[in-house]
Amino acid sequence: MPKEQKIEYSQLEAGYEFPPSSYKLDNSIVATYLKAVEDTSSLYQDAGLVPPMAIAAYAMAALSEGICLPPGAIHVSQEFEFINTANINDTFVSCARVSRKQRRGKFHLLVIDLNVSNQKQKAVLAGKTSFILPEYGEDN
Amino acid sequence: MEMSVGQLPGLSEGMNLPDIKRVITQENINLYAEASRDFNPIHIDEDFAKKTPLGGTIAHGMLILAYVSQMMSAAFGQSWLAGGKLSVRFKTPARPGDTITVSGRISRVEKSDGQTSIRCDVLCQNQNGESVITGETNLRVEK
Repeated sequence: MPKEQKIEYSQLEAGYEFPPSSYKLDNSIVATYLKAVEDTSSLYQDAGLVPPMAIAAYAMAALSEGICLPPGAIHVSQEFEFINTANINDTFVSCARVSRKQRRGKFHLLVIDLNVSNQKQKAVLAGKTSFILPEYGEDN
Repeated sequence: MEMSVGQLPGLSEGMNLPDIKRVITQENINLYAEASRDFNPIHIDEDFAKKTPLGGTIAHGMLILAYVSQMMSAAFGQSWLAGGKLSVRFKTPARPGDTITVSGRISRVEKSDGQTSIRCDVLCQNQNGESVITGETNLRVEK
């Protein structure tokens, strides 16, 4: 996503919904992912399944393409729930929503909820990601 | 309470899951950036990263978290892939050259309605014993 289409952190408010993002995870992408994380389990390739953390990684990438976080933003915590298995060549739609934006002293806490479904609108993954940002982020 | 599931015979509270050890290299990090489409320069641009308070590149937190998921799927198979939950905090960045040990310990096993709920404490530590990730996982298995 071009930078001009990204939303600035200062513009975010609780309840803001990012535009949904769609991505397909094919055999080549899954193979690259498994190599990157050094996962040699037969669980995925033999059964044609996608590692849930690959789905999560793409959901997070889609999120980062939609938001301009200020320098110094730190990913502090993460929750994921793997709801259903997903197959190689499935197409996913990731939806993200700001659930909390709060000042904490010299920092700000930003919490974003993620929900990913497959091409049959079946829920695959849900998550919650939290960032801490420096106060000057509001001005940048 | 003791039961068997997946590759773990005699599952019980207090039991340790088989550890995973990974050596972090810049090559791993670059490959993960490509695989995940996360090209934040703090991970892949050494010149940029040296000028930040971190002083050098760091691994993606999601890369280290992927190791946690690997440990869980190795132990619990598809029960982890559909029904697994994790909740973690990123404590210290992992850097190239670090050896990360991922460990898990079953903290609770509860049976109800033909299902067993399992909670595990998970920890990723570097070679200096510093916590990189701490948290817990939950899943249910048919039993």
